[in-house]
Amino acid sequence: MTRACAFEGSAPRQHKELVKTVQLEGQVLLKIIQHCSEALPQLVTGQLLGLDVGQQLEVTDCFAFPAAVADDDAEAESAGANYQLEMMRCLREVNVDNNTVGWYQSANMGTFQTLELIETFINYHENIKKCVCIIYDPQRSSRGNLALKAVRLKESFIELSKEQKLTLKGFREAGLSWRDIFVELPIKVRNSNLVQALVADLIPAPTATQADVDKLNLSVAPFLERNIQSLVECVDDIVQEQQKVTMYHKTVARQQQLYSAWLVKRRQENTQRLQDNLEALPEEDPTLFKPIPEPSMLDNYLVTNQIATYCDQINIAASEAIQKLFLMESMQKAGL
Amino acid sequence: MAATVLLPSGSNVSVKVHPVVLFSICDAYTRRKENQDRVIGTLLGVVADNVIEVKNCYVVPHNESSEQVMVDVVHHKTMFELHQKVAPHESIVGWFATGSDLYNSDALIQEFYSKESTHPVHMVVDTTLKDEKFSVQAYTSRVLALGDKVLATEFIEIPCDTIVGDIERVGAELMLTGFNDPSPDGRQKETANKSFSDETETLAASMARLADLVAKASDYVDGVMSGKVVGDPAVGRYLADTVALVPHLARPDFERIFNESVQDSMVVTYLSDLLRAHVGLAERLGTAALPIM
Repeated sequence: MTRACAFEGSAPRQHKELVKTVQLEGQVLLKIIQHCSEALPQLVTGQLLGLDVGQQLEVTDCFAFPAAVADDDAEAESAGANYQLEMMRCLREVNVDNNTVGWYQSANMGTFQTLELIETFINYHENIKKCVCIIYDPQRSSRGNLALKAVRLKESFIELSKEQKLTLKGFREAGLSWRDIFVELPIKVRNSNLVQALVADLIPAPTATQADVDKLNLSVAPFLERNIQSLVECVDDIVQEQQKVTMYHKTVARQQQLYSAWLVKRRQENTQRLQDNLEALPEEDPTLFKPIPEPSMLDNYLVTNQIATYCDQINIAASEAIQKLFLMESMQKAGL
Repeated sequence: MAATVLLPSGSNVSVKVHPVVLFSICDAYTRRKENQDRVIGTLLGVVADNVIEVKNCYVVPHNESSEQVMVDVVHHKTMFELHQKVAPHESIVGWFATGSDLYNSDALIQEFYSKESTHPVHMVVDTTLKDEKFSVQAYTSRVLALGDKVLATEFIEIPCDTIVGDIERVGAELMLTGFNDPSPDGRQKETANKSFSDETETLAASMARLADLVAKASDYVDGVMSGKVVGDPAVGRYLADTVALVPHLARPDFERIFNESVQDSMVVTYLSDLLRAHVGLAERLGTAALPIM
């Protein structure tokens, strides 16, 4: 099997091919599911290995990271790095592709838009241009559907954060909104021929499976409750963020006032001193009125993203519930 | 699969394999080095009440010729330590090999693994698809000795099953029913790769499958009633229990429950849409960043 690797464009043009789809091997899918669901309620992460082929990122293998023990940060970090190196070395001996293409993590109720995610992305981005993060939600999957998604940061957002211009003005200038931080990528599952034979032989032809029974479960209230609770927390967060921005504006306004008052006094003093034939004092005093840093809009945007995710989840779950209820109704009318 | 053989110690051991393990083995077989015929590796899992559950595995490089066999022990130990960090409850339960038959060198490898765990299980995964079947067999070994002299090692077959855990079901079945298109030439078809979040379609598909199942059951009952099929009393009782589980609600009760549930879902949808509209509006007006009052 020959695979071609993508070439990056020549330096002066800076043309980069962006990742458009993610292709998973069946065993990666099963490994992620097994690791994340066994480790519940703890959230876990792991590394993805594979190749990038043009616009498609192929993930061919993965391994889990040991759960981080927050005893001693420096020690834990080096232990984690050692683990990674050892694992990669061993896997190379058995001909597994050992290019890191990203990482996977389990999420609770779909909450993944955190600052840590962005920081990890930026760390990865310094070494590998094309990396992706796969988010798996074990609790949503227990309702019969597979809640797996692949995200990556948008190019424009990465550039913006490199320039450290994460303020409102920065975002407006770049023309980005809160929607433009993450890009969700479609996932495909691929299996080699041998594995397809295995799958066909292993599990008999599809009749109604347990997953179907889970999907047709009518009780949707607990799931909605949890979602709404998280949504309420998010709204609280956003109100807090808004308050921060309001405080900032107030402080700036107050600072302006103080500054103009001080300036008037200075000018008075200067006219006085000129009369006394002394040198005029400078009208600017930078040490007294330090410019207040504008709060980063990043948290704001992340929380908004989170709200959007929750709303989507709720909509999907509620519409499913309504469909099932109407099905039930027609069955009742027909049968009994 | 052979019937359970009683081991000398009187224990009935059986093996249950997770599909992840089989997938990894197939993948490792595809990636093997050019001069090798087969791949061997270690199996990790848990043992509970004479049932050995194989949860994970990793490949160990080895070299074998007709005279001798060498296994990279360092690699094996390193990988085991790494895996222990992630899943400390899993232990070495045996080893696997691809291929269709047992080799002579298996005895030596089995001896090595019996130092690592008690009663190691040897699993043979037939990747050559002999007999057009993908077979997975498990063996345990018994040492044949005459007095003090060890003569040979005998491999006894034990029952081996594939179990699909609760959540893996979802992934594995998804691969069967929607995503995996086992076409004879193995080409990736674009149509087979639906998006993961195609919720309404999958719901319809589930209902269709359930309807199918119910139709099969009803056909079976009709067959028994008309005397064409010999009825199995256990199945009959099971079906009767299942049908009895369907609740019979009086009409007003059902309507009340139905309306309440629909209203709950509607109100939640309305709230979430309202919230989204609010955020969108705030963004456009720029009030998300400016003080609004």
